[in-house]
Amino acid sequence: MASRPTTTVAPAPREAAPPGRRQEPRRRARRLERFAPYLFVAPLLAVFAVFYLWPALVTVLSSFFRWGLLRPWSPVEPDRWRFVGLDNYTTTLTDPSFWNAVLNTAIWLVVFPVLVVAFSLLVSILIWHTTRAGTVLRTVFILPMTISLAAAGVIWSFVYNADPQIGVLNAVLDRLGILDADWRLGPLELHPGAWLSNPGVLHLGVADVRLTNLVLIVPAFWAFTGFGVITITAGLTAVPYELVEAAKVDGANAWQTARRILVPALRRPLVVVGVVSVIFALRTFDIVYVMTGGGPAQDTMVLALLLWQQAFAFLDTPQGGQATAIAVLMSAVLIAGSYPYLRQLIAGRSR
Amino acid sequence: MRIYGRRRLVTGFACLVALALVVGACGGGEEASKTPPAGEASGELRVVSNWTGSEGEAFQAVIDAFKQKNPKVTVKVEQVPFDQTQALLTQQFAAGSPPDVAVALPGIIRTFAGQDLLLNLDAQWDAWVKDGAYTDALRQIASGPDGKAYAVYFKGNVNALVWYSPEQLQKLGIGVPKTWAEFTAAMDKAKAEGVAPLAVGGKDGWPLTQWTDPVILRVAGAEAFNDLARGKIGWDDPRIVKSFQVLGDLVGKYFPAQALGTGFIDATCAGAKGKALFDNQGAFMNLIIPAECDKSLKPGKDFTFFLMPKYDAAMPDAQFVSGDLFVGAKDTKNKPATLALLDYLASADAQEVWAKRGGYIAPNAKVPADVYPDENDRKAAALWPRTASVAAGYDLDDWIGGEIQVKYRQALAQFTRDRDVDKFIATMTKVDTRAKD
Repeated sequence: MASRPTTTVAPAPREAAPPGRRQEPRRRARRLERFAPYLFVAPLLAVFAVFYLWPALVTVLSSFFRWGLLRPWSPVEPDRWRFVGLDNYTTTLTDPSFWNAVLNTAIWLVVFPVLVVAFSLLVSILIWHTTRAGTVLRTVFILPMTISLAAAGVIWSFVYNADPQIGVLNAVLDRLGILDADWRLGPLELHPGAWLSNPGVLHLGVADVRLTNLVLIVPAFWAFTGFGVITITAGLTAVPYELVEAAKVDGANAWQTARRILVPALRRPLVVVGVVSVIFALRTFDIVYVMTGGGPAQDTMVLALLLWQQAFAFLDTPQGGQATAIAVLMSAVLIAGSYPYLRQLIAGRSR
Repeated sequence: MRIYGRRRLVTGFACLVALALVVGACGGGEEASKTPPAGEASGELRVVSNWTGSEGEAFQAVIDAFKQKNPKVTVKVEQVPFDQTQALLTQQFAAGSPPDVAVALPGIIRTFAGQDLLLNLDAQWDAWVKDGAYTDALRQIASGPDGKAYAVYFKGNVNALVWYSPEQLQKLGIGVPKTWAEFTAAMDKAKAEGVAPLAVGGKDGWPLTQWTDPVILRVAGAEAFNDLARGKIGWDDPRIVKSFQVLGDLVGKYFPAQALGTGFIDATCAGAKGKALFDNQGAFMNLIIPAECDKSLKPGKDFTFFLMPKYDAAMPDAQFVSGDLFVGAKDTKNKPATLALLDYLASADAQEVWAKRGGYIAPNAKVPADVYPDENDRKAAALWPRTASVAAGYDLDDWIGGEIQVKYRQALAQFTRDRDVDKFIATMTKVDTRAKD
């Protein structure tokens, strides 16, 4: 067995089996040939199974039981199970706190990816055009990526500080004389200066959209845009410059060049940036935790923070099952949402 | 790829091998146990605390003094962030590897005691109460749902202290308020002079609860307060409703517009620097004001406090406290040393070590008043409920803990914004169903 040369990833060429051998060993060799690669990926699959598949499976299962952090649900202790069927899901789906968190998370899901994609596309094209300042500009936008999100939250808490002697934004508003103003524009209510407490509300009848969420999206966007810029500038290097020159000769203006040549060529990186920022927005936790803790009241409560509270803060009323139910619902949305991206990725591999 | 694709999934699932999980053995029931004689304990102890900076050093000094008395014991102190203490302790206790001794608030003490995770300390409390070191009211705070004691009181704090700058008060021509009417008149005067009447750090959530506690206590009375804390009455009790009407008035008239946008430290320093007249907080401010705002500020001279006046002069005295307790894990591998340390933390000897450093109130009544380093600490310590005649209860939301505490703070932020008493009471009635169960 040891003497036989084995190949790992690429299928072993059929011809490798020396001709003229007897039928029996050849079949055995072929069986081995089919089996060997599994042996080589087995350690990796074991790691995947133990650290990814198993926890995911336990999470899904535990969402059908009532349990708390103090007595965590365990698949091997059936005598302690308290099966509640779909109760955790129905409680979650009928809880106004859940729907409030869904609304806030939806704001993140819509605003954050659009901001990131649009801004990094614009910046990347500008960097691509400027030959000299390109590296400097790229560095400027990538730098915030080196800061942890929690630190970014702390930094921006200073920027947003209500005291004009501490918060730079309110210092500006103070100069302009509009600090603590109270504006109403139809359904929109604005309180400049109250960045983290109540900057504004958009009354939509069915729901009130709290603008505090937008205030929190800005630091996340600031910290995350570097990723978009890197990915898209990398994509731009693959765009043949002759195409752009040809367009210029044909009399295309800057907008037409961007719209007709650059964006179609950048479809792949744009999808990557879009999908990754959607995932980022859905699982947002740290910035909100550091800056507002989901408050004031539940103005900025997002799903990840809500499930964290249920699992780690509500010890006297065990809600681990509800927390995992939210996690399962979020994963379902995430998988459904990133399916096009995954499909493209898989399709790209097999090509 | 083409060839192996079919079976990839099958192999993946085949790798889902059963995991051998070690199930922690359950300990047998044990009754209250005696502290070993001084100096006899030995071995190793793991202690979880959540103090940092100067407070962390003060606690280490207490531990060092314990080690001197018990040279055979080695103590390892782990500092964890304050707001993660509860989650970390829960994980460690649930995993069956708890610290021997850990800092805890009453909410979590009752939760853990209800799960039979803590060492019983009834024998120790019997002796302390008999000795006059502690009162029965304090013992209640350290007790589990079964009424037995499971914690020692280590660091005290009294709330409803209205901090101010004597210089500022003099400048505005205001005397120290002794009645509720004088209290509100002082704030009216400040407002008229263009000084913010109050500093409120509502962004951090808990500073708002510093307002509800004294107002409920003063308007509804001590009995209603304790009944509310224990779920014996609901939030729709007329005495509680009235408290929130009074609070709503205070919020509307005197709270700053940015109460919810200002953090605790920013509010504290705004008060200390004379941007606001009063700051209603706990005794711990004596340490925080100089440390966080301006090291040159002298306790007693540059900043001091008065006890928030009674709303109704006919109401009896009651002091509401907070502070930190310590519990011992029932599953400890070194029970004698654990009990020795808990006993020491409750002792006058241990508490004197920190009291001398300031910013601390010793819950043990045997600690003499002259150990405190400045006037503010002495004044605050004098308010500590030392005798059975003073009703004592614990900070409302720290007492309740868990889900109700989180949702109470959220509802308070909303109340600060809209001052809608009916809506607040309706929300709390929905959140806190203990009175109906």
